[in-house]
Amino acid sequence: MLKNIKYFIEQSWLLIVASFIFGLLLAITNAAWQPRIIQNEIDKFNRLAGGMLTEATAFETAAEDVEVESAKGKKIKTDIKKGASADGKCVGWAFICEGSGFADKIKLVLTVDAAFEKLAGFGVLASNETPGFGDKIKGDYFHSQFTGAPATELTLSKTGDDKKIDNEIVAISGATVSSEAVVKIVNNYIKQIKTQLQTKGLLSNGE
Amino acid sequence: MANDSTSSVSLSRTFLTGLWHENPVLRLLLGMCPTLAVTAAVKPALTMGLSVIFVLLCSNIVVSLMRNLLKPHLRILMFTLTISTFVTIADLFLKAFAPVMSETLGPYVPLIIVNCIIICRAEACASKNTLLVSVLDALGMGAGFTLILCVLAGIRELLATGRVFEIQMMPGEFVPWAAMGMPVGAFITLGLLLGLANLITKKKI
Repeated sequence: MLKNIKYFIEQSWLLIVASFIFGLLLAITNAAWQPRIIQNEIDKFNRLAGGMLTEATAFETAAEDVEVESAKGKKIKTDIKKGASADGKCVGWAFICEGSGFADKIKLVLTVDAAFEKLAGFGVLASNETPGFGDKIKGDYFHSQFTGAPATELTLSKTGDDKKIDNEIVAISGATVSSEAVVKIVNNYIKQIKTQLQTKGLLSNGE
Repeated sequence: MANDSTSSVSLSRTFLTGLWHENPVLRLLLGMCPTLAVTAAVKPALTMGLSVIFVLLCSNIVVSLMRNLLKPHLRILMFTLTISTFVTIADLFLKAFAPVMSETLGPYVPLIIVNCIIICRAEACASKNTLLVSVLDALGMGAGFTLILCVLAGIRELLATGRVFEIQMMPGEFVPWAAMGMPVGAFITLGLLLGLANLITKKKI
């Protein structure tokens, strides 16, 4: 037994020592830079959400770790932020939502007005959609169709008037899958987040 | 004296080899994944190149320093451990100090771990040579990789947008070739560069 342990240590001591040193190095690096990384993420969220809810001067967490079921049945946690104006009034809601895109996961910041009746828009936090096609979900043509659209079930059509603001979204030519992915994500989150806000008493249920 | 000059010639050759004779992209065809994926514009290509130089340099230094302690059957495990540590540091650095670039590069920074250039240099050079030779090899190979990435990205960005580094280079009437910004543009440009490199080498013979 002792002979085996001795043999094991003789063979692998360098690996054990190196693992310990590298682990320590990574822990120090992570501790040093993690606050900055988190701040970068908060800044990006605020920049995107603030661009859509222009009256909001701050975003406060209204509900933490809210569980949302993805289209594939997976439970995803997200924070619901309340956009507050300078006088503390709620001017809208913002939250991160995600779902599968054409190439990879699409992560969006979705904003809705205070009464949860109209979408204020969406911003793309992360996407690896095809350059020249799917990545046009970041462009004005697609994006502007969501601003002011009703916060109800949206539908996607291949043709139509993209200037008309209603629940019909006209897909990007050559990027139907990416367009459909965004509409699916929005539909999925809108419904569930609204229910969550009503359950938590943060939003009137209209009764 | 003669030995010193021979040694310095040999050292400079170690550095220059990576730039042309054993250029990782044009001659060894290594690191094809980032070469094709992040060369739509010069900025991400340059960032990827600098990240690879950092990882290559650090891993070559560590591997060279512990080369006499390496057990043959555990060496690949040690190389991977070393490389993944420095790749994680590079990834965290970009997330902290260049978040926009980190998003642009996406998964390709963590994927440096499986970049063949780095493990190849650890195995072929750093595990058998002194620290100085390993450092020069890392710098030469890294510079060669970065140079080709930037040339490829420069051609693609110019033809796809008419700009390089966000500076307008083409006349106003130029119609951008959108295909050059897509994967097909990467394959065509790389193919042409490889053909050109082969042509130059052939002419020399």
